[in-house]
Amino acid sequence: MTPLRVALLLVALCGVAAWQVTVIPESLMQMTVGPVLAPGVIVAALSLFAVLYGISAWRGRQTDESQAPDQSALPGANTRMLSLLGGGVAFIALVIPLGFVIPGTLCGMGVARAFDAPLNLKSALICCAIASTFWFVFAQLLGVGLGPALPWLI
Amino acid sequence: MEAFDALMGGFAIALQPTTLMWGFVGCFVGTLVGVLPGIGPALTIALLLPLTYHVPATSMFVMFAGIYYGAAYGGSTTSILLNTPGESAAVVTALEGNKMARRGRAGQALATAAIGSFVAGTIGTLALTFVAPWVVEAALAFGPAEYFSLMVLSVVAVSAVLGNSMLRGLVALGLGLLLGMVGVDLQTGQPRFTFGRPELLDGIEVTVAAVGLFAVGEALYLAWQGRESKGGEVMKLTGSLWMSKQDWARSWKAWFRGAFFGFPIGAMPAGGAELPTLLSYYTEKKLSKHPEEFGHGAIEGVAGPEAANNAAAAGVLMPLLTLGIPTSATAAIMLSAFEGYGIQTGPQLFSQQGSLVWTLIASLYIGNVILLVLNLPLVSLWVKLLKIPPPWLYAGIIVISTAGVYGAGNSVFNVGLLFVFGLLGYIMRRFDFPAAPLIVGLILAPLGEQSMRQALTISQGEWSTFFTRPLSGSLMAVAALLLIVPPLYKMLKRS
Repeated sequence: MTPLRVALLLVALCGVAAWQVTVIPESLMQMTVGPVLAPGVIVAALSLFAVLYGISAWRGRQTDESQAPDQSALPGANTRMLSLLGGGVAFIALVIPLGFVIPGTLCGMGVARAFDAPLNLKSALICCAIASTFWFVFAQLLGVGLGPALPWLI
Repeated sequence: MEAFDALMGGFAIALQPTTLMWGFVGCFVGTLVGVLPGIGPALTIALLLPLTYHVPATSMFVMFAGIYYGAAYGGSTTSILLNTPGESAAVVTALEGNKMARRGRAGQALATAAIGSFVAGTIGTLALTFVAPWVVEAALAFGPAEYFSLMVLSVVAVSAVLGNSMLRGLVALGLGLLLGMVGVDLQTGQPRFTFGRPELLDGIEVTVAAVGLFAVGEALYLAWQGRESKGGEVMKLTGSLWMSKQDWARSWKAWFRGAFFGFPIGAMPAGGAELPTLLSYYTEKKLSKHPEEFGHGAIEGVAGPEAANNAAAAGVLMPLLTLGIPTSATAAIMLSAFEGYGIQTGPQLFSQQGSLVWTLIASLYIGNVILLVLNLPLVSLWVKLLKIPPPWLYAGIIVISTAGVYGAGNSVFNVGLLFVFGLLGYIMRRFDFPAAPLIVGLILAPLGEQSMRQALTISQGEWSTFFTRPLSGSLMAVAALLLIVPPLYKMLKRS
C-alpha cells in the first residue's frame, strides 16, 4: 500500500458514491432542496480532494508511516493483521449459533496472536476469562443484550 | 447570579449518592482509559452508548463527563512513566515529564500534573459556568442559516486547522460527511447510499464508526507494526509524591497560565488541546528562570501543558453544550448520546434540560476533586496497568469493542462494519489522516443538511441567505479564510 494506491482507492470510492447519487429516487414532495443535492455536493467535494491527494501523492508529498524510522513494520505484518481480522470473522460467523463466550474467546485469541502470543491453552483460558467477564458485566450487570453466554443456553 | 443559583441546583442533584456513584465510576474508568495506551475517552464513551437505553440521562452524562475529565488526567501518567502519550495533547507532557522520571523525579512530575489538572480543570469549569449562559443568550438569535454556517465553520476548522495536513483533514471530513448521508433521508423518505441493504436504512451508527476507527484501527496498526509486543520501558515510580517548596513555586504560575491558554482555545470552533499545550510549553520555556533545564526535565514544562490540556477539555464542552456543535471526536460522540436520549442540543438545551446541564456542570467540579483524590494515591495501581502484556490488553480492547457494538443492536452486520471501519482506521493511521474530522462530519452531516433545508425554505430558495445575513456571512467568511489563508501563507513562504 502506498499513498498513490490510497488515492486510487479514494477515487474508486467516489466513483461508487457518484453512481449511488444517480440512483437516489427523486422525491415527489414539493421542496426547495431534494434528497440529491447534499450527497451530490459532498461526493463532488470528496472527488476533488481525492484527486488533489492523488496529485500530491504522485509528487511524493504524502506521508506513509512505514517509511518513517522506528515506525516501519517488522516481518510478518500481513500474517499478524490477518490473524486479528480472522478473530473478527470467527466472532461474526459463530456468535449466533454458539452464543457470546466461545466466539469472543476465538476473537480474543486471534487478536492476541496478532500481538505474538502463541495459540495455546494459556491463551485460550485468558481470552475465555476476558470474554466471560465482559459477557457477565455487559449482559448480566448492565442488561445489554449480548445473547446467551454458551450454546447449550440458547 | 442566575447561573450561580442554577449551579447550586445542579450540585443538589450531583451530590445525591446515585449520581455521585456514576460520577465516581466515570472518573475511575476515565483515568483507567487515559492511562492505558490505545484506548481513549471517545472510544470508551462510544462503547458505553448502548447503556443509554438502561440508565437515566443525568447519570449517564455525569459518568461521561467523569470519563472525559478522567482520561485527560490519566494520560499524563502514561506520558511521564512510559514516554508514550496516549493522545496528541499529551505529547508535550512526555517531553519533560519522562525526563523528570528518568532523573528520579517521577513522583513530583505526576504530582504537578495532577494538581495542575485540578487547578486548570476547576478554572475551566468556572469559565464554562459563567460564560456559557452568555453564549446561549447570543445563540438564541441564531436562525437555521447561522447554524448551517456555524457547522461549516466548525467542520472546516476541525479539518483544516488541526492535524498535519489540511488536504488529508478535508479528505477525512469528506468521508465523514459521505458516511453521514447513508440511510433514509428523513425529510423525503428516500434511501441514500444503502446499496439495497435494509441494515443501512437507519444510517451508520456512530458507535460502530468510532469504535472501529479508534479501537480496531489502532490495534490493526500496532499489529501491522509488530513492535508493541517488544514493549516500552515503564519507569519506576521514583521520588516523593509531595512537591517541595521550590516545586510549588515553579509550578503554580505555570498552572494558571496553562489554564488561560487552554480554555479559550478549547472553546473555539476548532477546539483541540494540541495548540494550547504547545503554546503553554513554549511560554514556560521563555519565562522560566531555569531555561537550561528544558529538555532535561523542567517541572514547568509538565505543569503548564497539563493544565492547558485539562482547561481545553472544559473549553470543548462550551460549543457542545451551548450550540450543539462538537469540536472533537469525544464531543461528537457525546452529542450522539444526547440524540440517543431524544434530547435536542443547542441553546435550547439550557432552557429545556436545565437541570441536566447544570448537574453535568456541577459534576465537573466534583469530578475534579474525585480525580485529584483518585489519581495520586492510586498511582501504583495505574503503573501496574501499564505492565499488562499487549496481547491480553488488545484482546480485551477488541473483545469489549465487539461486545459493545454487538450489544447495541444484536447485529452481526454491524460487527462486520466494525472491522471494515477498523481497516479504514488502519489506513488512516498509517497514512496520517486525522480521525476526528470523520467522526464530526458523520454526526454533523444530517444536522447540517437539515439546517440548510430550513434556511432555504425560509429564504424561498435564496442561497444568498447564508452570505447576506451578517452573522451567517461572517461565519462563512471565517471558514473561507481558514481554508484559503494557510495554503496561501505556505505558497508565499516558499516563493
